[in-house]
Amino acid sequence: MPKVKVNDRTVEVPPGTSAMDAIFHAGYDVPLFCAERHLSPTGSCRMCLVKAGAPRKGPDGEWITDESGEIKIFWFPKLMASCTLAVSDGMVIDTLSDEVRHAQSGMVELTLANHPLDCPTCDKGGACDLQDRAYEYGLDEKFYTGPTGEPVYTRYEFTKRHVDKHHPLSEFIILDRERCIHCKRCVRYFEEIPGDQVLDFIERAVHTFIGTADEGLPSNFSGNITDICPVGALLDRVARFRGRNWEFEQTPSVSVDDASGQYIWIDARSGRIERIRARENPELNDIWISDAARFGHEWADMDRITTPLVRKGDALEPATWEEALAAMRRGLEDVDRTRIGLLLPGDATLEEGMAAAALASQFGTGYLDFEGRTAVPATNFPAATFASVLEADYILVLGDPTEELPIAHVWIHKRLRGVKMPQRLNHGTPVADLAIREHTPPDGSLLGAFAPHPTRVMEWAASRGVFAPGQAAAFLAAFEAALAGREPEEAAGVSPEAVKRAAESWKSAERRVLFVGAEVLMDVKAAQLAEKIAKSQGAVVFAMTPAANARGLEAMGVWPAGDARAPRAVFTAAEDPAADLLEMADFHVFHVPRLNDKVRRYADVVLPAKTPYEKRGTLLNVENRLVGLEPAHVRAGEAEGLVQALALFASAAGVEPPLRFVRQARARFLDRYKVNLDRLDPYGTIWRPRVSLAPRPLSQEGNLYLKPSMWKARHRLGEAAGRALGVLELAAHPETALAEGLDEGAVLEVETPAGALSARLVFDAGLPAGWFYLPAGVPAMRLPFRALVPRGGEAS
Amino acid sequence: MGFFDDKQEWLAEVFAQYPEDRRRSALMPLLRRVQQEEGYVDFERMKEIAALVGTTATEVAGVMSFYSYYQGLPTGKYHIQVCRTLSCKLAGSDELWHTLSERLGILPGEVTADGRFSLQAVECLGSCHTGPVIQINDEHYVERVTKARLEALLEGLMQDKPLEEVRRSLPDEDKMGKATIELEGGEPS
Repeated sequence: MPKVKVNDRTVEVPPGTSAMDAIFHAGYDVPLFCAERHLSPTGSCRMCLVKAGAPRKGPDGEWITDESGEIKIFWFPKLMASCTLAVSDGMVIDTLSDEVRHAQSGMVELTLANHPLDCPTCDKGGACDLQDRAYEYGLDEKFYTGPTGEPVYTRYEFTKRHVDKHHPLSEFIILDRERCIHCKRCVRYFEEIPGDQVLDFIERAVHTFIGTADEGLPSNFSGNITDICPVGALLDRVARFRGRNWEFEQTPSVSVDDASGQYIWIDARSGRIERIRARENPELNDIWISDAARFGHEWADMDRITTPLVRKGDALEPATWEEALAAMRRGLEDVDRTRIGLLLPGDATLEEGMAAAALASQFGTGYLDFEGRTAVPATNFPAATFASVLEADYILVLGDPTEELPIAHVWIHKRLRGVKMPQRLNHGTPVADLAIREHTPPDGSLLGAFAPHPTRVMEWAASRGVFAPGQAAAFLAAFEAALAGREPEEAAGVSPEAVKRAAESWKSAERRVLFVGAEVLMDVKAAQLAEKIAKSQGAVVFAMTPAANARGLEAMGVWPAGDARAPRAVFTAAEDPAADLLEMADFHVFHVPRLNDKVRRYADVVLPAKTPYEKRGTLLNVENRLVGLEPAHVRAGEAEGLVQALALFASAAGVEPPLRFVRQARARFLDRYKVNLDRLDPYGTIWRPRVSLAPRPLSQEGNLYLKPSMWKARHRLGEAAGRALGVLELAAHPETALAEGLDEGAVLEVETPAGALSARLVFDAGLPAGWFYLPAGVPAMRLPFRALVPRGGEAS
Repeated sequence: MGFFDDKQEWLAEVFAQYPEDRRRSALMPLLRRVQQEEGYVDFERMKEIAALVGTTATEVAGVMSFYSYYQGLPTGKYHIQVCRTLSCKLAGSDELWHTLSERLGILPGEVTADGRFSLQAVECLGSCHTGPVIQINDEHYVERVTKARLEALLEGLMQDKPLEEVRRSLPDEDKMGKATIELEGGEPS
């Protein structure tokens, strides 16, 4: 490994390391704006100038020496940008001399020349790279003195460039073009990470600005640019002007919006969540999170229930916990305990799942379920870490990772671009990784993508196809036939050639990765076929469950069992339980953070619940990685956690609660599985539970297909999200729509499990005929197509 | 109908010049073709090109805006490009710009009512010793544009005489390249 001397320290770094990373590795600092972890280094800001030199070998293969016999260092004639300079053996780097400091201070001065310096009103103030670097590396009295010898700290005596200052790029991102220093991080980010090039430099030279020609940044990963912007040019519009950086209480937690458990920072101020930012986890989400995880937090502060509510006549009235307990006692008085149903939300933690499972067995009831459960348990599939995606020779995707498991989209794109797991240096992920190149086109031959609707990853895939909803099993049967060498027939609308191509690539690959979405997992036959194919071929599987903690809950035994006798009383912590379950029971206890129509209609007792942002708990993510939730400081009245609510419910039913606190659950977990949930590894602990559960199908039929959506029903409640999403789009093949007498652009009322939604009809010839598609923020579902009523008269 | 719908053969030829996975490289020839044939590149055309080479309209717009050659709006029959870089600026290109703009009554992006003229400020045209310089359409340079020469030029263009002929008949055209012409159109000393 090359030995590099940085100032007075000599370090060994892997070949191909940038000089910048060698400097950080050695424990020295160098200022930078444009380099960023996981992005290609471009050397565009010139802030990281250093003096560098290297020895040379003579024709005899020996190091050239100077007069005194020392190995001679040939210095580069000019200062070098350390981010794009690769180290070589014997390289000498100087970051401390006056020459270097003078140049760096000059770069700060140039960068600030057109910067508005409106830090007092800038949201980035206090957490701004440019501020920090200006303080550390800005003009120095050593280099600039006035005519009478006094130090000069500023030479800005001219008018600054004035351009567009409040330019909304989308509902979530606002751009201040005066603050922009043209580091190109955001442009490179979009091209290299999600692969949606929706931002670019427009114009050139001093007129250059960041802009888009595509409406509203069409990407599920647009928010990350606000994290990586080194200045206050790109800001989170949802959080803008809501607090200064030093006022936020920052809580390291994880997102429960999908099954990946992306690491986040929750920034709360005065008991309100103001902002979510990405938290680095190089094994899981690098420094990126999806837009849903970032912007979909407004619901947490909306219309919270702060005290228990008890039904009095038609109304739910505020009550004390004692009154709620008494009301539950009365309601459960003559209910057979084996006929009590427990329903958890899909993001219930391991600890909560453990408490619910223990209580269910104490009751002797088999009616224990969670929202967003799939027909086949996700734990049936051999899981693997995201890092294994980068090693894969072939990736087969059945579903829509971009929507169902957003971070998987990023990992698949990384694999197709040939990116490897970065080396870990003393300072962590390399800041300027020379192995990453700009404009690397994704290699589509590594990917096959099939789904019931056109997906974003399909655009990269060499073999792809759209099959009719409900036909995942038919597709997999055809795929299996092709694997066995038989000629596949047309599979549910997918051409046999595509199936054959995918099967051939799959067969010839050594390391195979399979992604299955809710469409497969909801279908017992399809899921079992997928499982069989994966296991017989030694493939690893990412089961993209709609529930964030599906694996954890399954491992704790939260799964319906035994007879299917209708429950007479229901305890539900799920916000949106199926109406038929609620109809079956006579007594309903809801443990929810917020009222909705179902709660108002059915609830007999409502207990105020905490949102996942306020919980302490653990999730088991799609990779079988235990990740920990930490409670943020949110004002939530008397809201209690699910473990406590279950304990209260247990005592109301006359049973000694098996678990009363999260702490107890953790102690039991440690005792049972020898894993300490209080002390997880910083990037999450891999835990492979042994689970064997039988599939339990869910009823699904109809021709309205609800696409899994990143914007889950509750995210839509937020003001910013609501504005951005506007009217939903109901998509259909033109022929199908016209057969129903519906023309493109008609605005319709659509009945869904999440209530009636307004949607605009769009034609999409890429969809299978006979189906209507709606991104609905629920697991992939099929529903009877309800009468659609055009609003505002006939469609034109 | 798309611009390239009836140019499939030409497209195939252009794409064949680049590796299969680097189709984005064909962005420039496609832009050029549209610019040459239509005089400007409409947003619909940008989207069409983006779809053809597999990128986004944003990137096409980014590339397009980098080069002053590509126009986003329709141009006149005579597209006058005024150099505004240092040498020309010192030689009076600001005054030239204001004179032109006032004389024609248009700003960049606009076309005169008769459809003849449009105006654009551009960076260095590479004729720094004969500033201020203007370029008309793709081929013609007019150098040392004094007031008298400008008047004669516009006069000629108004009558739609061939550009080359107009240029040759400008006052002092025979003295081009000699550093003796007074900028305000006076007699050479």
